[in-house]
Amino acid sequence: MTDCGCDKAKAELEEYLHRELSDQDFVDISDHLATCSDCSQEHLVGLALSDKVRRACQETAPEELRAAVIGRLEQLQV
Amino acid sequence: MAAQATLTERQILEDLELALMTDTTAPATPEPEDPRALFEEQALQYMDQLYAAAMRLTRNPADAADLVQETFVKAYQAFGQFQQGTNLKAWLYRIQTNTFINNYRKNQRNPYQGTIDDLEDWQLGSAESATATSGRSAEAEAIDHLPDSAVKDALQAIPEDFRMAVYFADVEGFSYQEIADIMKTPVGTVMSRLHRGRRMLRELLADYARERGIVTPEADLSGVHK
Repeated sequence: MTDCGCDKAKAELEEYLHRELSDQDFVDISDHLATCSDCSQEHLVGLALSDKVRRACQETAPEELRAAVIGRLEQLQV
Repeated sequence: MAAQATLTERQILEDLELALMTDTTAPATPEPEDPRALFEEQALQYMDQLYAAAMRLTRNPADAADLVQETFVKAYQAFGQFQQGTNLKAWLYRIQTNTFINNYRKNQRNPYQGTIDDLEDWQLGSAESATATSGRSAEAEAIDHLPDSAVKDALQAIPEDFRMAVYFADVEGFSYQEIADIMKTPVGTVMSRLHRGRRMLRELLADYARERGIVTPEADLSGVHK
């Protein structure tokens, strides 16, 4: 197992989190996180942030909006 | 016994295949006289998501509802240009983003517009996180315990382009390329907006947690510089 080191891991943590890395880079970062508590803690903060934002931003559109949209579409000629 | 199990398995597979076939052929066989039914069936399922994004853009329910309604009208009128099989949700977001920029953004105070991507990091506040490891595990926990309203307030406090990049990546799970298409900007800009947006958000939430005492006593968030 080759360790990519903290610099590479820290630089790519966000892309790692968002699954934007190549397979090889993904494996490299995963390997590093498994052995480095500093980087894995940093990663956990990133995960917590993503998760929190996702949960906080859930909304349900008002029923009136659904009805209004359907009403508008009915009036339109395409 | 084994033969029976195989038979059952085959049945399940056939059912699955049938379901998949039904699913993929459905768009190809719409009743030609009723494109509205097709549009309603395919597009209206994303109303909650579009509304949630519109809330983050317009900051209030009335404007958000107007924006979503306008988005669906525009999308319906352009539906003939939508390529079946491509990402409909991303297509709808592209229309909503355009509509917002054209109809709403000019009515809002937006001091950052046009310059935000050019600002240097120091102008946005803060360097890299220097929080100690022990502080960071407390930080993750504090973030987890924050009220949703604090997260929404923090999102509203960061520049719109940063906010929406974070929204598209973290709430919707779009790829960087999809976000680039929606926001009509290079992927490199998306990455920069995401990075800066998330960092600002993290600092705002750390401030909030510290002010409200939502941190364990030993947590040291002072390393997250203002």
